[in-house]
Amino acid sequence: MSYAYLFKYIIIGDTGVGKSCLLLQFTDKRFQPVHDLTIGVEFGARMITIDSKQIKLQIWDTAGQEAFRSITRSYYRGAAGALLVYDITRRETFNHLTTWLDDARQHSNSNMVIMLIGNKSDLESRREVKKEEGEAFAREHGLVFMETSAKTAANVEEAFINTAKEIYEKIQEGVFDINNEANGIKIGPQHSPTNPSLPGAGGAGGSQGSGCC
Amino acid sequence: MDYFRSGLKSVLGAPSTGSLPTGAETVERLVSRVSTSTLLEDRRDACRALKALSKKYRLEVGAQGIDVLRQVLELDRSDPEIIGYCLDTLCNITSKEVFEEESENNVNMKVNVGEQFTEMFLKNSENVTLVLGFLEEYDFRVRWPAVKLLTSLVVSKPKEIQDIILVSPMGVSKLMDLLVENREVIRNDALLLLINLTKSNANIQKIVAFENAFDRLFDVINEEGWTDGGIVVEDCLLLMLNLLKNNTSNINFFKEGSYIQKLSPMFVLPPNLEEVGWSPQKVSNFHCVLQLVRTLVSPNNPVQIVTACQKTMRNSNLLEALCNILMASGVPADILTETINTVGEVIRGNLTNQEYFANVLAPSNPPRPAIVVLLMSMVNEKQPFALRCAVLYCFQCFLFKNEIGQGLVVQTLLPSNTGNTALTTGQLLCSGLFSNDHLSNWFSAVALSHCLIENPAQKEQLLRVLLATNLGAQPVSLLHQCAVFLQHTSKLQAKLGILMLLSNWMAHCPQAVKIFLNVPGAMAFLTAQTSASEYDNNEELLQGLCAFIMGLCVAFNDNSVPNYSKENLSQLIEKRVGIETYCKKLGEVSRHEVYAKAAKQPQIKAKHSTELLLEFEFCKLFKVLEGIIIHALGVQRDLSNGISELSLSEHENALLLQYKELIRDQDKKLQDFQRKLNNLQKEKEQLESLSTELKERNNEFSDQITLLKAQLAALGSSINGTETNTMPLIPYTATLNTTASQTNEPNHQDNLLERIKQLEKEKAEKDAELEKN
Repeated sequence: MSYAYLFKYIIIGDTGVGKSCLLLQFTDKRFQPVHDLTIGVEFGARMITIDSKQIKLQIWDTAGQEAFRSITRSYYRGAAGALLVYDITRRETFNHLTTWLDDARQHSNSNMVIMLIGNKSDLESRREVKKEEGEAFAREHGLVFMETSAKTAANVEEAFINTAKEIYEKIQEGVFDINNEANGIKIGPQHSPTNPSLPGAGGAGGSQGSGCC
Repeated sequence: MDYFRSGLKSVLGAPSTGSLPTGAETVERLVSRVSTSTLLEDRRDACRALKALSKKYRLEVGAQGIDVLRQVLELDRSDPEIIGYCLDTLCNITSKEVFEEESENNVNMKVNVGEQFTEMFLKNSENVTLVLGFLEEYDFRVRWPAVKLLTSLVVSKPKEIQDIILVSPMGVSKLMDLLVENREVIRNDALLLLINLTKSNANIQKIVAFENAFDRLFDVINEEGWTDGGIVVEDCLLLMLNLLKNNTSNINFFKEGSYIQKLSPMFVLPPNLEEVGWSPQKVSNFHCVLQLVRTLVSPNNPVQIVTACQKTMRNSNLLEALCNILMASGVPADILTETINTVGEVIRGNLTNQEYFANVLAPSNPPRPAIVVLLMSMVNEKQPFALRCAVLYCFQCFLFKNEIGQGLVVQTLLPSNTGNTALTTGQLLCSGLFSNDHLSNWFSAVALSHCLIENPAQKEQLLRVLLATNLGAQPVSLLHQCAVFLQHTSKLQAKLGILMLLSNWMAHCPQAVKIFLNVPGAMAFLTAQTSASEYDNNEELLQGLCAFIMGLCVAFNDNSVPNYSKENLSQLIEKRVGIETYCKKLGEVSRHEVYAKAAKQPQIKAKHSTELLLEFEFCKLFKVLEGIIIHALGVQRDLSNGISELSLSEHENALLLQYKELIRDQDKKLQDFQRKLNNLQKEKEQLESLSTELKERNNEFSDQITLLKAQLAALGSSINGTETNTMPLIPYTATLNTTASQTNEPNHQDNLLERIKQLEKEKAEKDAELEKN
């Protein structure tokens, strides 16, 4: 189960927009119509392939409720990607996007890739936010945009994978400092079989001294 | 001390002639100096002196100085030295520890001062944020005491500090950065701080894990030499344990982050270990790693996660390494015991791992399966008690949800035509079952009962097992021998073991019940036990279990034994024991504290051999079947007739009261409904009469309308006549002529037209009227 890169993601957005369902659909390929409220954060992971390279996604699904906001903020800094989710059938979740975005920008590293997601696209009859509005918001704030349905799985894969692609491109361009784990990116353990006692030695080397101010 | 004295002198000046100032006075002066001095040097010296006094005069320094010290943290933050003194002083006064200097000074101090000062300091959560800020200061004089102060605070008031750190921005991140600190003292103290901080707070645990804690910790463990390392390794492992215990999200992260693979090498024993021996620290470290593995595959975790972790442990050769430790020599007994428990949980309910375990061979001559070697220890009186318990648990884990494994064990007891003389699991269990060591009886009975759980086929197979009791005597069946042994042994532990085995065997197995009923004296024994009115120490369990078996004989009876049909046995219980007594005996089992303890977790947790009475899987069976038995006995029917409230147990009484209350409630509701129904009926009658009245009137109206219509039609036709045709006009004009006065011809015409208009108007009015109606 070796990987070339490991990316850390967070999923943020108002409560009830379907963050946990998106994660479940992505990691387990199933949909759970009734989902418990997330307490704090929950973890999920999956391997994907980009450019014929194995990439491990570690995803932290955060609670949307206001009460958990200070806890979930702790996860912004160490993430390489964020899925900012709203619910296309509830206008107010779209209206809150600016607050979420400000919060994320303030607490995360500046290179974090943010993907805007309008979820529940299967509920066309109850739609309150037009696709064009989402697109406009994304364009205005420099985000990637997609409408998804955690229920039908439409675009769910794409949402996670496209975010990873974006991060991957940034790495190729040299924008990300991959040796600083605080960016939410890790290089995979090196494939050399000569050192079986310490499989993690390859990735952790360059971070010493970062504790100094 | 001389150094401190000179320091004091330089701050306070030479002591005035005569009496020395008391501690309180000195502290007071120092505190005022800290708050009023304009020169940094003076404040610094005063702080240094306060620090020196903060152990001996903790109460004084804390009571008078805490606010001033806090101010210094804020105002003098650019001077590392004074901040260092300040933090150290605060650390001393908030410490939970009682200092030597202090105790000789204040003998009668009972309250925990440290905790109270901690509370004072935490009143303002800004204070903690301030201290967290000092973690970012590189200067050793600041960073180290800041870590120590936070540790002291979290030890005194964990919950409060946890809450503050959770909401302070980057709070956890700042702490995590300390783990890559190259000054080891700080790093090690940071570890202790994190251990205390992560205790039972899932949110902090998750953030710490998110901040790459596992990577950091494995780096430290590697630097320190893995399990051969010092206490720092143990601290790292303890922190990992904190992060994983009951935290599914973090366990998932641990598994997904391939950290299990990093654990495996720690279990590989170096070839020269026997010469080097196990240092106490290595034993501690090893214990922690074993705990870590058990935390990942604990039966309390969700099955999905446990299965995934078990699979990874097999694939990363962790299971193999563990099994090697089982078979290695020179391993300390407590490590061996814990390794057996760990192996058990790594294979529990996982068929592939169970199969792997079944094929592990011990390096004996001739090689024997590891399971056989382990069971030999279990039925050996001379082995340590904890180890024997561990073997039973491991064996249970091996059989858990493992039909193949269950079958293999039973198979070794069946007559075979291969002349195999090797010792087998089945033989060991059978010899243990009837040996003179009653603990072995109990262990073997429980172990054997696990071969039958949810496995009807093996229940029948085991019935085929025959034992040769005495030379020349007729061989008897295993079940028969169990029932005989039950009556002969005098030890409670052995009896309970056998009864649990019989319960598991006879539940849902009429053939087993049949054989049992045919054992001479068996039913009489059960009846005597169940109807006994006195008992001492834990004998109520024996009586309860006997009642349970009697119940099984009723519930799973196919009426094939004469005199012991369902009906016969029910009557036996009713007449000889009495339903009341019977239910009471049965109820005493599940109310017993031994039952509650055993039902808690699959692992057998007993400090002493006498505590081993009931077992987890039996408790599960009892819980399921208790109700079925009572139902089968028709106890419900008897409960409703004849039994007075006085004879009921507390629980039943409460239930009865509850039902009475319910019935009273329903009665009241019924009356309410009746009243409402009457009212509604009355209303309905009124409405009906109203309705008939309205109908009549309606008929009247419609009659009137037809009448009016007819009139109108008559009128209408006359009008039409005037308009369309002149011919029929003549008779009409004639009539008009008779009514009107004499008019001449042209006038006549005009009059007629006028008249028609009038009629038309009238007609319109009538029409409107009709419409209204």
